[in-house]
Amino acid sequence: MTKKIKLKINARLLKKRFRKQGFGGKKHCRFCGNAEQETHLDYKNGTFLKNFLTERGKILPARISGNCSLHQRALARNIRKSRVMALLPYSAGHF
Amino acid sequence: MANTTNNRYEALMLTVPEITADEAKTIEQQFDRLIADKKGSMLSFEKWGKYRLAYPVKKNEYGVYFLARFESQQPELVDEIKNLLDVKLHEVVMRSMLTNLDAEGSLVYQRPQSLEEAPAREVGSFMKEGKMDHDSDNDNGQDL
Repeated sequence: MTKKIKLKINARLLKKRFRKQGFGGKKHCRFCGNAEQETHLDYKNGTFLKNFLTERGKILPARISGNCSLHQRALARNIRKSRVMALLPYSAGHF
Repeated sequence: MANTTNNRYEALMLTVPEITADEAKTIEQQFDRLIADKKGSMLSFEKWGKYRLAYPVKKNEYGVYFLARFESQQPELVDEIKNLLDVKLHEVVMRSMLTNLDAEGSLVYQRPQSLEEAPAREVGSFMKEGKMDHDSDNDNGQDL
């Protein structure tokens, strides 16, 4: 019996339990219900969008930034636009 | 043609860093002429200033941004503006982006700080400040 229960526990469930126990609290989307933050979500605002890039210039996953999928998509769209206009890098390493 | 609401558009242009005031003026005039032809109106034409680009564009490390906003009832205007930017102004405008704007949305926006707006510092003072920052960090650490 005990063996079967052990098999059911995987890393994802462990993480979920960890979160539910209240360490750090649940992540929430910073744009949802926050009109002021949503106005920052614009391809012209390079300094703000930079917060959602990794050191190497990749787009930060929603898993880490905590955005909801709607706003993560909007964010990614704006970052890609911003890259075309050379406001944000495609990748680090251009010096 | 029953549609009477004006469509708002926005054109962000990245031009070569050596752009002169005359060239900037001709861009604005050409915009004005095209928009007037299509019975539209120019909302704003702003110069952002000089920026350090995230990556070199046409071998330029720096560039000057311009933002034009206009409205018109005739969507053909967008194609003409696109032609203007890509063909006639090809030598000056390196990149351009035309987007739709909300008709009722506010025109307020944020943009990154340009090189002119950023506080100018000499290389020597910059290094000194860096050292001072480092020292102050240490001080904080000791205080805590």
